[in-house]
Amino acid sequence: MSAQDDGDNARSWRNSYSVALSIFAVEVMLLYLFTLRFS
Amino acid sequence: MNRLDYLVLVATILAIPLYGLWRTRGSASLGQYLKGDASIRWATIGLSVLATQAGPITFLSMPGQAYESCIGFIQNYFGQPLALIVVCAVFVPIYQRLKVYTAYQYLGQRFDRKTQLLGAFLFLIQRGIAAGITIYAPAIILSALLGWRLNLTIWLAGGLVIVYTVIGGTKIVSITQRYQMIVILIGMAIAFAVAVYRLSPDLSFQNTLFVAGKMGKLEAVNFSVDPHKRYTFWSGLIGGFFLALSYFGADQSQVQRYLAGGSLKESRLGLLFNAGVKVPMQFFILLLGAIVFMFYQFEKPPVYFNQPAYQRAMESGYAPELAQLQTQSDEVFTRKRAAIRAVSTASSTERDTAMNTLRKLDAKAHALRDQTKAVLVQAGVDPKSKESDYVFITFILQQMPHGVVGLLIAVILCATMSAMAATLNALGSTTAIDFYRPLIRPNASDHHYVVAAQALTAAWGLIAIGVASFASLVENLIEAGNILGSVFYGSILGLFLTAFFIRRVTGSAVFFAALIAQMLVFVLFATTNIGYLWYNFIGCAAVLILAPVLQQTIFRGTEAHAAV
Repeated sequence: MSAQDDGDNARSWRNSYSVALSIFAVEVMLLYLFTLRFS
Repeated sequence: MNRLDYLVLVATILAIPLYGLWRTRGSASLGQYLKGDASIRWATIGLSVLATQAGPITFLSMPGQAYESCIGFIQNYFGQPLALIVVCAVFVPIYQRLKVYTAYQYLGQRFDRKTQLLGAFLFLIQRGIAAGITIYAPAIILSALLGWRLNLTIWLAGGLVIVYTVIGGTKIVSITQRYQMIVILIGMAIAFAVAVYRLSPDLSFQNTLFVAGKMGKLEAVNFSVDPHKRYTFWSGLIGGFFLALSYFGADQSQVQRYLAGGSLKESRLGLLFNAGVKVPMQFFILLLGAIVFMFYQFEKPPVYFNQPAYQRAMESGYAPELAQLQTQSDEVFTRKRAAIRAVSTASSTERDTAMNTLRKLDAKAHALRDQTKAVLVQAGVDPKSKESDYVFITFILQQMPHGVVGLLIAVILCATMSAMAATLNALGSTTAIDFYRPLIRPNASDHHYVVAAQALTAAWGLIAIGVASFASLVENLIEAGNILGSVFYGSILGLFLTAFFIRRVTGSAVFFAALIAQMLVFVLFATTNIGYLWYNFIGCAAVLILAPVLQQTIFRGTEAHAAV
């Protein structure tokens, strides 16, 4: 595997982690809105 | 339960292990036995990781927890997605590169043999006891409510798991967990749908949630900074992060799940799948508990959900006291039902008054349940598990249609079997690789170690059954497992984080730092009442602070290994 491939691979995983973090942030926000709505 | 239920139950719990045995037939090398093979893809890894963590306690206790208090337990999982990302980025590449069978082998390579053995030893103690709780928790409840003999229930469920885990190793654990988790998800989705369907037609679903919220059941997020509050956003995010980092990064029962298959990409995808689905899954399980709570606001609940204990107290001369409490409870139930209707139809100006009446009645209902429990204790039928653990299973047995009852009991047993299989697999592997191979038989053949791992897995299974047979629980089932984990995980995680990030620290410094940190956590556990999730943070932080200090003082001059 070339250095270019390694770099692309690392960038692609960083993007995956960002997506996972964004999903988590949305989940927490929805739970907070749920709490505000029903508590 | 009728014949249909037993048919569904037996078919479900037997079919999956039999399929697993068929898929893993033939002999396996040591690598295949301990790490599976390349046919295991991310979906199997993801479901296997999910099943290992869930366990029977999640499905038995968690709805009861929401019924009893609120859905705030969800916050305990807030640190998990962050921890899983760290595990993907830092832990998995190192384990995959070094091709280790157990996480503790890495400690041996980075530090020394004694640090490897300490990490493995802390894991074995904690998981050995936890395996007993895993099987005891559902067995005591199912045996009490279904009239099954406790020891027979423990031996049947435990025996089946031991047989297939010993024969098939990691691969069969991953395959069976995949299908067991699918059964669990389908079963819980059906339970949720039936619970919503069975809600009173007097209130719309939206109004039901509104009233449940006003009764304090739906507070999912709480930003309080009070360290004595068990479930807050901050304790979940920080304490939960360290608990999850330790659990997913350094607990062999999870490490073995995502190293199955051997590909970095598949391991990472399986873990990221968990980062996305865990919080929503737990939310729906807790919400199910809140819905069951609302169901029992219109359908009269038992005055005490642990009915077998209640019946024993009735038969031992306490019937008059209990009958009186029952009458008062019935009266409160009727008034509370009327109060809920009043809340849902009240104008906005009258709503506060109606809510106050409802809250007072709810407090009275709680007090009556506490008085009932006090009578049970006085009668000498002190229940060994918390009453809230009986809520969801009582709802299943009394309110679900036949067939679904069998499926949901199968869900609980599938969860037991999947969690126990992963634990036994990890206990057997760790004992074989971290203790037996280096200390007892260093240069034997691959086949010899496979047989040793099988024998040790069976031995741990028997120990777990032994612990389960003599166990009696002190607190809610979920709490027992999490508290036990939190007490040990901090120092184990500290060992790993020191290994990854503090290059100059040597084996002796980190070894003694971990021992001191573990003692500190024991002392705090025995003398304070801080929320248990903080033990993960404290234990880990103590190792990370003490190890460099010891290195610079007592162990100054000892040569540091290069970081692996």
